[in-house]
Amino acid sequence: MECRDWRERISTSVDGEVPPEETRRIEGHLEECAECCALERKMRAVGIGVARTEGSVPPGFREKLFARMEAEDLLPRRRSLFVFSLRWAVVPVAAAAALALFMLTSADKGKVAVSPRQTTPSAAQTAGEHLTPEEREIIAHLDILEDPSDLDPSEDVDEMEMFVPPGKRHG
Amino acid sequence: MRSDEELMELYRKGSRDAFEELFARYQGKVIHFAYRMTGDQARAEEAAQETFLRIARAASTWQPKAKFSTWMYTIARRTTLNFLRDEKDDGEKVPITPGEDAGDGPPALQLRGPNALNPEEMAWSAQIQERFVAALQRLPETYRTAFVLNRGDGLSYEEVASVLGITVQAVKSRIFRAREMLMESLSMVLP
Repeated sequence: MECRDWRERISTSVDGEVPPEETRRIEGHLEECAECCALERKMRAVGIGVARTEGSVPPGFREKLFARMEAEDLLPRRRSLFVFSLRWAVVPVAAAAALALFMLTSADKGKVAVSPRQTTPSAAQTAGEHLTPEEREIIAHLDILEDPSDLDPSEDVDEMEMFVPPGKRHG
Repeated sequence: MRSDEELMELYRKGSRDAFEELFARYQGKVIHFAYRMTGDQARAEEAAQETFLRIARAASTWQPKAKFSTWMYTIARRTTLNFLRDEKDDGEKVPITPGEDAGDGPPALQLRGPNALNPEEMAWSAQIQERFVAALQRLPETYRTAFVLNRGDGLSYEEVASVLGITVQAVKSRIFRAREMLMESLSMVLP
């Protein structure tokens, strides 16, 4: 094989793109051929030179690019600390508002449910204008019965006992 | 550390940090690639800006199975070529054709002795870099891209083939021809 036939193989070898067996053959030839050995060094030098040929990253390159990207809406915007804090401040504020609303609502319901006596008389008074004396007496008794403290437990038991069937009284 | 592909996926989902990380990893590589391809710092900067913009615009079309760097270099190459073609249409400076600058280039420079070829000991200067940049611009675009991607950016033959949409054998051939032409062009620099 003549030297010119080795050239492309040497080039490929310099780039590390030949299998180990082929590399050994090329190395064997380079040991025997000074011309190809010099060629191999030049080939390597050309590659090194291109790798060392570099541009430079100019100042402001990043800022310029990111500004263009933001203008095209290609770059998600970074939230400021203020906005971030504001966002998370919504949570406790919303919780406090919900709690306050709940308490207000409960207070209103409590007025109706907890003190029925305050509303019942007024309702009764309103309705009472159209009631007969007998109906008023019934309502008055109902009002008394709604209050457990007005009941006499012993009298109630006696009355209940009167309705118990005789056969079951002692069994 | 997250992979490029993971970062790209996160960016697609709206992560700014993911894009910033990708940008930090590749801004230098893209600028260097564009500089080697165009031979001009200002044009390299413009091409690099446009490359990242196109990456962002095309993020939705990126296939997660594809290697990010290969996809990125595909965009970088097309963008850079568009810049060069636009300049050609405008009648501005175009890549120098072989032999055009005979006798007009900077004075010949010699690397110092055989050891200069050793990467650790190789003498390097702005003037030598200019010679390399000029030599690259003399190459046909197809050869230049293959050589720059392989030697400049460290892509394997297979990766270069993927970026260029050609076979590995074609890549091997283009790189060999590029190397032959560069050795001839830089013969006054090389020992």
